[in-house]
Amino acid sequence: MTPEEREQLIDSLIDGEIDEADFLRIEAELSVDPEVRALYYNRLKLDLLLQREASGSVDDSGSDVAQAVAPSAAIPPVASVNILQRRLTGIFAVLAATVLGFVAWSVWNPDSSRLGSPAGLAGKLEPTAAGFAILQGQSDAVWEGDPLATGSLVPSGPLRLLSGVAQIELFSGVRMVIEGDAQFVVQSAMLVQLDRGRARAQVPEAARGFRVQTRHGDLIDLGTEFAIDAGDEAARVEVLTGEVELHGQGAARQRVLEGAAWQLSDAGVSERSDSDSLQVLGPDAFERQLSSQQVDQRRRWQQRVASMREDDRLIAWYQTQQTSADGRQLPNLAQSDSQSAGAAAIVACQPSSDRWGQAGGALDLSRTGSRIRVDVPGEFGSLTMMCWVKIYSLDRLYNSLFLTDGHELQEPHWQIMNDGRLFFSVKKFDGAEGKRRRPDKYNFYSPPFWDASLSGQWIMLATTYDVQARRVSHYFNGEEIGSEAIPADYLVPRVTIGPASIGNWSEPMYRTDPQFVVRNLNGSLDEFVLYSSALSGSEIAELYRLGNPAR
Amino acid sequence: MQPELPNPPSDAEFVGLLTQSQLSLLLYVRSLLPGEADASDVAQQANAKIWEKRADFALGTNFLAWSFAIARFEVLNYRKRQARDSRLTFSEDLEQTIASELQQIDDDLLSRQEALRKCLDGLKPEARTLLMDRYETTESLADFARRIGRSAGGLKVSLHRIRATLADCIERRLATGAAR
Repeated sequence: MTPEEREQLIDSLIDGEIDEADFLRIEAELSVDPEVRALYYNRLKLDLLLQREASGSVDDSGSDVAQAVAPSAAIPPVASVNILQRRLTGIFAVLAATVLGFVAWSVWNPDSSRLGSPAGLAGKLEPTAAGFAILQGQSDAVWEGDPLATGSLVPSGPLRLLSGVAQIELFSGVRMVIEGDAQFVVQSAMLVQLDRGRARAQVPEAARGFRVQTRHGDLIDLGTEFAIDAGDEAARVEVLTGEVELHGQGAARQRVLEGAAWQLSDAGVSERSDSDSLQVLGPDAFERQLSSQQVDQRRRWQQRVASMREDDRLIAWYQTQQTSADGRQLPNLAQSDSQSAGAAAIVACQPSSDRWGQAGGALDLSRTGSRIRVDVPGEFGSLTMMCWVKIYSLDRLYNSLFLTDGHELQEPHWQIMNDGRLFFSVKKFDGAEGKRRRPDKYNFYSPPFWDASLSGQWIMLATTYDVQARRVSHYFNGEEIGSEAIPADYLVPRVTIGPASIGNWSEPMYRTDPQFVVRNLNGSLDEFVLYSSALSGSEIAELYRLGNPAR
Repeated sequence: MQPELPNPPSDAEFVGLLTQSQLSLLLYVRSLLPGEADASDVAQQANAKIWEKRADFALGTNFLAWSFAIARFEVLNYRKRQARDSRLTFSEDLEQTIASELQQIDDDLLSRQEALRKCLDGLKPEARTLLMDRYETTESLADFARRIGRSAGGLKVSLHRIRATLADCIERRLATGAAR
């Protein structure tokens, strides 16, 4: 064999374009000749580098997770500062990072100078989130700027609640109800700056010393419950139980006992002439009010579901609170003529609270092996998949939403990558007969939607597969987060499902090898819906609006 | 008497080791699965497995050897899962040889990439465009040839020539240190 021939064979091998006879020839050469192997390694390196060079910022379907997040990734240690080295090393650091399962956004930390030290790396291993409090509940709340979701971290910086009522729970244990119109800043778990507005706080013993700062002075809690109304002229204070200490401007200090009505003003600390109650709802009363509102909302949603069940496009609608008498099955609520999917079987799931706060209304899939088994016969054109899930963490490489058993031709797979991207694909080619270079499917990824602050919150995810428009779109909480045309080569006009799992992946039935990969969703599922049509963006937004408990 | 306990690295040390060996691991997996579009997914799986087993690794022992063994297992798993005709896999002996050689290989990909960029600049624009187009697509060579209106055989030869030119250029640059 001439050197030229050898190189050609190696190129064909790496291209996946080699036939069996040539494969055996080059394998023989590789086996006996270290120089041929050296050439092979060099060509593999060239291939790897060319692929990276060509993909640039484009995420081709064969590229790994790392590549997609690399451009925004932290810059790990490099001795010589060099853009190229940075970028390449970044890819590999992030590759490692994504494998380790920590959320992509925690790597986007501009403070990367310490990454070189082991301590810096250890720091990066822990996901971080920012805030001192959770927005526990809200009623008719209107926020200046973007709305805040119930259950989310309260952002740092000034907040303006224009109207309505919100309750925040600080990490110190303080529960605080704030009524609009109010302007405030959560400075720490022990300090809230209240520039304007009315609030009532319940302070547990562990948070004694909690402080509310107003323009006219500070209130320091000495244990229990108080109300405060910060106005332009003065901050009026009412102690409901226990006592507080008021610190006016300068040296003025005053202990105020239960039942007393005082105020902070530019004149210092003084007893109020009016002894009117401030009439702010307490945390307990507010929670009761919210929970009765949720019961109402849940009932209204169920009424809507009852009317939507007859939609002809429905293949399946499973609600985890609607189990069969023995609690092992979820009936298919879809009542369209065309549906033929039966009841779903619950495997190894634990009951958990649903998104309306009702105990036992949802299914927890976090125990290894948990899944909800379905069988969906038939062929479909387009598809919509929608679910309400509460995810604790994305700690598997693939976190399952809805996967057919194995992955056969024409079958869809819907899951979440551990960097927080939604993943959808329909298998187009059979691996055995396809060209080796060509992937057997095209993967449609959304941009990452996940960060650690979403952990434990109910979210709605949806993906549509539109054969007519040749497009796959991903939705997070009713909003489109990504949409991509289906490459002509990879369009599958008729999709089949068959036996499948919600929240996990099952390898083909009758497989006897007990080993399995862990892909179950580390979280809970409340609702799963499948349509034989691609719902429009506005239909999905409407499903979210009606089904969202945290309004 | 207590047997000497292995000395597992801290997570931070382990991440350091794993990060440093990413290129070698990727090369190793690709060397065992030449022409497989899924090779990088397999490498990712291997990474996950390596991380999972980190407590088994003893500091001071050969990290590459240890991680390659896990990667090889993932490659075998992949082949099994593909349930695909396995004619085109290297003999076990050759796979072992590749493993031991790639453990020794110099991690020079960064300077290589830099050299590659310079060498790409030196190519004729048509050649360069052809090569990049080829690497941007996931089509088979035959489909790609059809799309750009060329014969598969002719295209194969052209691509090979371009690659050979690049490879020579890179080796020359690396040898003279011109890439630095």
